[in-house]
Amino acid sequence: MVEILQTIILGLALGGVFALMGSGLSLIFGVMQIVNLAHPALIIAGAYIAYWGFTLLGVDPLVMLPVAAFVLAAVGIVLYKLVFEREARSAKYTQMTVLLTFALAMVVEGALGGAFTNTQRVTSPDYATDAFFFGDIFVPKGQLYAGMVSIAIIVALSLFLKYSRFGYAIRATTQNRDAAELLGVNVNFVGMMSFAIGIGLAGAAGSLVSFVFSFFPAKHWEWIAVLMSLVVLGGMGSILGTVLASFMLSVVAAFIGVYFGASWSTMTFFLALFLVLLIRPQGLFGEKPELA
Amino acid sequence: MTMVIDTTTDNTSSVLEARKAHNAKLAAAADKSRATWFPLTILAILLALPALQFVGNYNYLLHLVLFTACYATMASGWNVLGGFTGYISLGHNVFFAIGGYFAGMIFARYGISTIVLAPLAGLVCGAAGFALGQIMLKTRGPSFIISSLALVMIVRILLDHWKFVGGANGVALQANDLSAQWAKLPYYYAFIILAAFTVWACYKIKHSKFGLGLRAISKDEIKAESAGINTRLYKQLAFAISAAFVGMAGAIWGEYLTYIRPNIFTIILVSVYMVLMCILGGKATIAGPVIGAILLIAFNEFFVATLGASEINILATGMIMAICLLFFPLGIVGTLAKHRRLPRILNWD
Repeated sequence: MVEILQTIILGLALGGVFALMGSGLSLIFGVMQIVNLAHPALIIAGAYIAYWGFTLLGVDPLVMLPVAAFVLAAVGIVLYKLVFEREARSAKYTQMTVLLTFALAMVVEGALGGAFTNTQRVTSPDYATDAFFFGDIFVPKGQLYAGMVSIAIIVALSLFLKYSRFGYAIRATTQNRDAAELLGVNVNFVGMMSFAIGIGLAGAAGSLVSFVFSFFPAKHWEWIAVLMSLVVLGGMGSILGTVLASFMLSVVAAFIGVYFGASWSTMTFFLALFLVLLIRPQGLFGEKPELA
Repeated sequence: MTMVIDTTTDNTSSVLEARKAHNAKLAAAADKSRATWFPLTILAILLALPALQFVGNYNYLLHLVLFTACYATMASGWNVLGGFTGYISLGHNVFFAIGGYFAGMIFARYGISTIVLAPLAGLVCGAAGFALGQIMLKTRGPSFIISSLALVMIVRILLDHWKFVGGANGVALQANDLSAQWAKLPYYYAFIILAAFTVWACYKIKHSKFGLGLRAISKDEIKAESAGINTRLYKQLAFAISAAFVGMAGAIWGEYLTYIRPNIFTIILVSVYMVLMCILGGKATIAGPVIGAILLIAFNEFFVATLGASEINILATGMIMAICLLFFPLGIVGTLAKHRRLPRILNWD
């Protein structure tokens, strides 16, 4: 019983981080219809910012989080201007963006690998290796803090989307781009800003990742499928769906890891991605098959 | 009354005749602009190339040609699904792995050369492709791309854990007992012939009714369906055929390297190369994948030789892919053909 509870807690703690990693991806797809395969590579870029901030300057990764978020949001604006704006009117746009972001992922991986080599790294502030103990159950502090921060960020994002004027514009563009444009929304600007917010979330997630997982540039391939599984299971474009999917899948993955061995646990995500795309492409909370 | 009917039938038949004459004229013009002698000459030169071994050690050159031929085979195979049919798969190295493991394991156990086994491996991969197509082709566009990526990850984990095929360490295969001077020769000829066969088969497919159907699917699947094409079966067959070519290449590749291991067959860069060669050379053209393979392999060797860093190589590969997609989505052959600048020797279509 204790073991089961412990597994659930460990799964939920990771789920929080996955939720933040996936929500930026979900936002970008919802507004821009871009399937951003470069998202995990950019998360790793964010992780490097936090890592160097901690190693060189001794700044806590949680303090580096806004820095990583803003740097990557700026990168997002540049990428949008350079790459995606000109593609917005092309035929087979979504399919094209998949290939483009895939190429982008390689560029980011190669640049990070060239600059920082492919050594495994992890930021190690005091709390990363510490834990709270409740009787027989332990909760790793690092994962707990990371989970709490990411939930806080996601709640703030949801409130922003729900109540701010710009949030209205983003949601309107998600629902119907043409109608939003007719009603006076500058959809191109909204697209650019939500792309920047999404990539900024990747930076924020990266600084959490830096002390929760060990990372190296080539690791993002594995995360592509992991994050896609969260977003697809949650229903492309639904942030709430992504959050729920990441808690569900990471708890399942934790159980698989305990009972079948740690190297099988990522199989949960890959298999979920494959099966959801084939059986229920609209995901749990999507209404129509968005990705068809 | 009868007269009216007669005139109409006369009219339709004359229209049909005019169209037939027009088609014949187009075909004749295409024949005239096609330089069949060029690929044949290249093939002849490549077949004679190992004679260089009599005058010196050109093993590296042979390796490069063989490597290029391997990728030309795979890219041309990928082109049947990704180019003609328009279903971009980032997971085709799965069939590279299935072919390699199938033939490699039989070779390890019973000592039958993988060159003999290659057609059988092709059949096995074709069957696997047909079965996977049955489920994966329910998705299209981006979903298909992502599900193909998931497939690679799944196969990678399965191979890593499958004890029978050696898990993550793989299986060592026996090298042949030829002297170092001639050791590459069987694989060299196998790959050259395989590549030539694949290119020829792609040409035949493109110009068949089946190929026309595939191209209709890539333009507009719903219209193709309503025009009476069995799109489901066509797509599945295209998947199977492209899997078969990739699988045959994989079969021989394992024995050539003398070991089979998950991280040679299932790394993402293998399938990226297939995709990128087609995009660079020109999707849905015959010469495109071959030109793409030659350019990318040459470029790859150049970077590894001068910079020696695989990270820079990945960066540059990504750059090439992004630039191609943004500025020349039709690829080299497609862009030249669009501007009517395609040299005759590259017109293999």
